[in-house]
Amino acid sequence: MVDSAAIVLAGGRSSRMGSPKAALDWHGSTLLRRVTGIVGRAVAGPVVVVSAPGQALPELAASVEVVADPREGRGPLQGLAAGLAAIGDRAQGAYVSSTDVPLLHPGFVQYVLRRLGDDFDVVLPEIGGYRQPLSAAYRVDLLGTVDELIAADKMRPAFLFERCRVLHLSGEAMLEDRVLARLDPRLESVSNLNEPADYQRAHALPAPEVQVRRFGPLALRDTPRLQSVRAWTLGDAAAAVGLTLDEHVVAALNGDQITRDPHLPLAAGDAVAFMVADAGG
Amino acid sequence: MRRSPPGGYFGKVLIVDLGTGSGRTAPLEESVLRSYIGGAGLGTWLMHRYCPAGIDPLDPRAPLAFVFSPLVGTPLTTSAKFAVVGKSPLTGRLTDALASSHFAIAGKLTGHDAIVIHGACQQPSVLVIDQGEVSLAPAGNLWGSPADHTETTLRERMGPAWRVAAIGPAGERGVRYATISHDGRHAGRGGLGAVMGSKLCKAIAVRGRGKVASADPAGVLAVAKDLRERSFGPATAKYRELGTMSNLLTFNAISTLPTRNFSAARFEGAQALDVGEVSALKQVARSSCASCSIGCEHLVKGPGGKKTRMEYENLFALGPLCGVSDPEAVVAASSLCDELGLDTISTGGTVAWAMECAERGLIDAPWLRFGNGDALLSAIAQIGAREGIGDLLAEGSRAAARTVGDGSEAFAAHVKGLELPGYEPRTLQSMALGLAVNPRGADHNRSGAYEADLSGDHDRLNGGESHVAGAIGTENRAAIMDSLILCKFLRKVFTDPYPEWATLLNLVTGWDVDADELERTAQRIVLAKRMFNLREGWTRAEDWLPDRFLSESLELESGRKATLTADRLDAMISSYYRGRGLEPSGVPQPSTVEELELQALTTDLDK
Repeated sequence: MVDSAAIVLAGGRSSRMGSPKAALDWHGSTLLRRVTGIVGRAVAGPVVVVSAPGQALPELAASVEVVADPREGRGPLQGLAAGLAAIGDRAQGAYVSSTDVPLLHPGFVQYVLRRLGDDFDVVLPEIGGYRQPLSAAYRVDLLGTVDELIAADKMRPAFLFERCRVLHLSGEAMLEDRVLARLDPRLESVSNLNEPADYQRAHALPAPEVQVRRFGPLALRDTPRLQSVRAWTLGDAAAAVGLTLDEHVVAALNGDQITRDPHLPLAAGDAVAFMVADAGG
Repeated sequence: MRRSPPGGYFGKVLIVDLGTGSGRTAPLEESVLRSYIGGAGLGTWLMHRYCPAGIDPLDPRAPLAFVFSPLVGTPLTTSAKFAVVGKSPLTGRLTDALASSHFAIAGKLTGHDAIVIHGACQQPSVLVIDQGEVSLAPAGNLWGSPADHTETTLRERMGPAWRVAAIGPAGERGVRYATISHDGRHAGRGGLGAVMGSKLCKAIAVRGRGKVASADPAGVLAVAKDLRERSFGPATAKYRELGTMSNLLTFNAISTLPTRNFSAARFEGAQALDVGEVSALKQVARSSCASCSIGCEHLVKGPGGKKTRMEYENLFALGPLCGVSDPEAVVAASSLCDELGLDTISTGGTVAWAMECAERGLIDAPWLRFGNGDALLSAIAQIGAREGIGDLLAEGSRAAARTVGDGSEAFAAHVKGLELPGYEPRTLQSMALGLAVNPRGADHNRSGAYEADLSGDHDRLNGGESHVAGAIGTENRAAIMDSLILCKFLRKVFTDPYPEWATLLNLVTGWDVDADELERTAQRIVLAKRMFNLREGWTRAEDWLPDRFLSESLELESGRKATLTADRLDAMISSYYRGRGLEPSGVPQPSTVEELELQALTTDLDK
């Protein structure tokens, strides 16, 4: 696995949806906030949002970088070039995502990035008979090739795939990975939303099931230490067990980062540890 | 004509020559008191003033200072604390060990802001300080006894108004991480108990009948009441309700629990050592230090029904660090450390090093294995007696590894010779920096940088500029709390600490210190410690972590690797030096010396 970053393309026109997808509500947050948060959980390097020129974006985590696509409406290769240029030498590979995949799982992102080694330039899932170029991983040093294609006005991703080493991954092959099969058994990570009906269907789905554990004095109340709750965000999970993320309460997600960001997106299988902020000696 | 000392001070230090059993006082100028406050800060100044450069810490001429503070004796919660300051026999650098007890109040009310002892008694003795009168009494059969027995016996003999600080057998035998204890608490880190033992001083008994007034007694009373009420709030809930033992499961969940000599950061036996398990099994009482409203102490029943204080550091060091999950064994080990007068962190760290070496065949001790509670107890007993392998381990992990050689140095988890506390540096990278650069060595009380890592404000696995800022900030705040002195368990009670601390100090002293001055004072104290070490031969190479932390990654539950590279640590240290106004070599820049008014200390460097 190479050092990784993420690019989220937010500059699409959302013409079938009727309103900008990036700002669509997602259970108190927004679609873009959720997707950037999910990919941010899966990569160690920067998360770059590529917007259209002058596009207003919803509020994002402070760590997310935003770059404007210099030319609007020229498709994903243009956005890919802007994102790869912004990453520069800070990572060797990048997961590239669209904005409209609220069921994206960080385990899916990690799986795809893991396959991007020295032997391939692109890892391209093919799920349900379709290539998924906006749920794929790219080596950052493809930037020169992408720029050449743009200069030649060859704007379709297929032109890029013809010129580099692509690992094609079928859905069946991906689900042979036991961890991914457990976290995202139907590979809903690639389910995108094109029309209002898609959005409404997805929005009505139950929140992912996560395990919550309370530590220290937070565990003193008359509730079990370990609870299973459904929550789209960390704030929802806290509320579900009667806690508020404030100056006295922080959380660790899957034993990893410490955070008190209530908008941090959660995904199925997550383990959330709530602890007092003063966790030291 | 000399001015009256400011409120909260007597303006003088008692200097005792144990060789003659005589004492004299020396003035402490107001400018010194305002610049260094008290406790660890004033103790540092006293070491610059009275410690001969380059002296062996166990040489009779090496001074040992018991330093009080302007807040001692006020009704401010947690203020009954004092610092023991000296050159550490474990590190060869400055160390200051704090403790809370009635000794602080009685010691100060002898009429002194500090007591400095030097020289050595002709025979094992008790130093008796009755107000300003100094004398020596033979220790007799107290020599060889545990510190708590010594304290109890002396108070029964001399009367309840007397307060006693004593060493245990480990201090007498020169174990380099021996403690000084009183009221069942220890001035623990750095081996100052061995310094006292080298002077054949079993105990110091003090009786204070003096009085010291605050500049604004009514104002002090009002803020004391407010602080006391705030000390019952959520910022101290953990300490009050569970004590620091509750850190163990939390740290295990976030891969921050040092396990089997730092070879892992999660311990499969952690659940058995949870505060709930230990307390349900053995808890007998909760308690608090003198003048404290938090009450963090959780006493459990040790061997023979003896009350043993359990907190996170002794639980981690004698439990997961040695791979021991049996709570009975861990409590017994802690109780034995108390009885012998041993710092539990350095004891656990040194035994864990020996266990790893034994398992790797580097030392011949087939009985010494991770997870073996009986072996742990046996090793501690041998350390206290300096018998068998204990004589080697009594030197601490750094010196023991140098003796054993054969690559064993790679497994000695120390900085400057001081064994690491219970915070995994690879998963707490602001703390990694704090551990590396602190003058005392690997220490969590002078550098609480873990606070920045656990705040959620930065990626704790990816050390950078924000981690440096976190380390400097917590180090500065610790310098003030350790000099005022207030318990760090209060730290989250202060929402805007420097102005609030300045208010407390001004009400007691009558000064007009503001937040900016106090922050400069913090920087001055931190650098004064560094300058003492410079005088004693410190080089930049000492501000570093053992190679294990820079060459072995840890895998978190999330699957992410926690890696701390030498390049990253070096970059953070360089940034820390810039932030502190130091040269790349770690020496203070002339402009920093001038700005912080440290010129008087630079002359020490030439000694």
